[in-house]
Amino acid sequence: MSPQTEPLAHSARTGTARSQSSLASSPLLELKQLVVRYGSITALHGLDLSIQRGDCVALLGANGAGKSTTLRAISRLVNAASGQILWHGGEIGQLSTERTVKLGISHCPEGRRVLGRLSVADNLVLGAWLRRDRQAIDNDLERCYGLFPRLAERRQQQAGSLSGGEQQMLAIGRSLMARPTLLMLDEPSLGLAPKLVAEVMTILAQLHQEGLTILLVEQNAHAALAIADRAVVIEAGQATISGPSQQLLADPSLQNAYLGH
Amino acid sequence: MPTELIQLLLNGLSVGSMYALFALGYTLVFSVLGVINFSHGAVFTLGAYFTFLLIGGNVGSNGLLAGFQLPFALPFWLALVLAGLGSALVALVIERVAFQPLRQRGADPLLALITSLGAGVILVNLIQLLMGAESHAIPTSSLGNLPAALNIGGAMVRTVQVLLLAIAAALVVALTAWIEGSRSGKALQAVSEDPITAQLLGINSSRMIQVAFGLGGFLAGIAGGLVGLSVSIAGPYFGIGYGLKGLGVLVLGGLGSVPGAVLGGLIIGLAEACVPADFSGYKDAVSYGFLFLMLLIRPQGLLGRALPNKV
Repeated sequence: MSPQTEPLAHSARTGTARSQSSLASSPLLELKQLVVRYGSITALHGLDLSIQRGDCVALLGANGAGKSTTLRAISRLVNAASGQILWHGGEIGQLSTERTVKLGISHCPEGRRVLGRLSVADNLVLGAWLRRDRQAIDNDLERCYGLFPRLAERRQQQAGSLSGGEQQMLAIGRSLMARPTLLMLDEPSLGLAPKLVAEVMTILAQLHQEGLTILLVEQNAHAALAIADRAVVIEAGQATISGPSQQLLADPSLQNAYLGH
Repeated sequence: MPTELIQLLLNGLSVGSMYALFALGYTLVFSVLGVINFSHGAVFTLGAYFTFLLIGGNVGSNGLLAGFQLPFALPFWLALVLAGLGSALVALVIERVAFQPLRQRGADPLLALITSLGAGVILVNLIQLLMGAESHAIPTSSLGNLPAALNIGGAMVRTVQVLLLAIAAALVVALTAWIEGSRSGKALQAVSEDPITAQLLGINSSRMIQVAFGLGGFLAGIAGGLVGLSVSIAGPYFGIGYGLKGLGVLVLGGLGSVPGAVLGGLIIGLAEACVPADFSGYKDAVSYGFLFLMLLIRPQGLLGRALPNKV
């Protein structure tokens, strides 16, 4: 595949935690009995989760159920009290956040958190901070602008001056600039108008099609289930329901709790 | 332009440029950590002493090192650069012992005010223990065969002052180009704006904090050597006055703003230069009074953004 046609979502990444031989057998990411506490409050009570390469998994649940904490534990922003985080079967629960980025985990945080005083272009280039392949970074930048034409128009503008939807696109684009194996998104639809939600979800579906593995935290269960292969519902820090999206969409108990029927 | 005015301007600008160099170190550390590094004045003092020793200065008759003199005498320029590097190294050690342990334990950032003040006091006392409390001069002869004064627009100006201004300007331009133009400079800005997000991009915040300390220490060391050359080293405590003045400059320019630190330094330098010689004892009163007035009008400082919420 030539560099020009290679998809932005880069699925064949090397240099991961374990040797290539274990790739076939182990899931890409596996959480085993993960417990996370904030002081005396337990946010995750032994969460189990498994993601295969190429999956698009939606993490659903009410406010405070532990969805964001799960992502924060994976990218090592919070320490787990017990349990395991396995990447290609290798334990990564002791690594620094920077190291998880290097492994290929990109965490697009809740509330977008663009660097408001820097330009759109600077935000994107910093997304590729750990990469040294300048030519490929430039190519990815152009692909990013292709994916989000509105960012291209505003590339020299301060990121803080963008609208909410544009900031969300910038945050996703910035995460992609790391060429992740796994893209984790925390509430990308939050605060966006329905039309923009659809736009963002279409782009995520497209990235998934190109082979990117996605872990999507959403309160907007309809939007998430429309693009995810599989969903896991978290309640009070534990995974309670999981299954293919179609099945969950038809599940009456889920409909009552999260789909507003 | 009347020659007195040229002289006054150059005096003010050269003194102000030293304040600016000094305040830049404060600003760099403040922008990534949100706290003032109170050991900065001690690092400045150390830079002056390093320069003095490296040009072959004799410690004198006091302190544990009484009578000590290096077996070689470097030209001023080389001594200044080495003193800057030595100061940067000391600043990195201070970061390691007075800041990093607190950060790793998740302590309130404000506690670093106390530990950095402690580190500064220890450093100053160490200098006094080793070299005594006497003052030293860095002779202008260490500059080589430069004329003592230059004729600028009919005004005779001390060469040293022109040098101070030129060096400070070059350093400020280089630092600004690095922060605004390079990838690592932008990573520093990212850490300063949002350390968590910076980490999620793979930026090592601790490394960037060290870069800020190292650069700040280098600039302080250079400023110390230059002030030692243009005025003198008035004992181990002479950095304290600069430390407080630098704080004023920082607040005047706007906390965490690099151009603000430069502008603030030049303004305070000029304000002091306007004090007539007969009233030179009131220089500090004038500059702090001026600072007070400015803050009444514009509390976030000249080029400051609304106060950061991380403090």
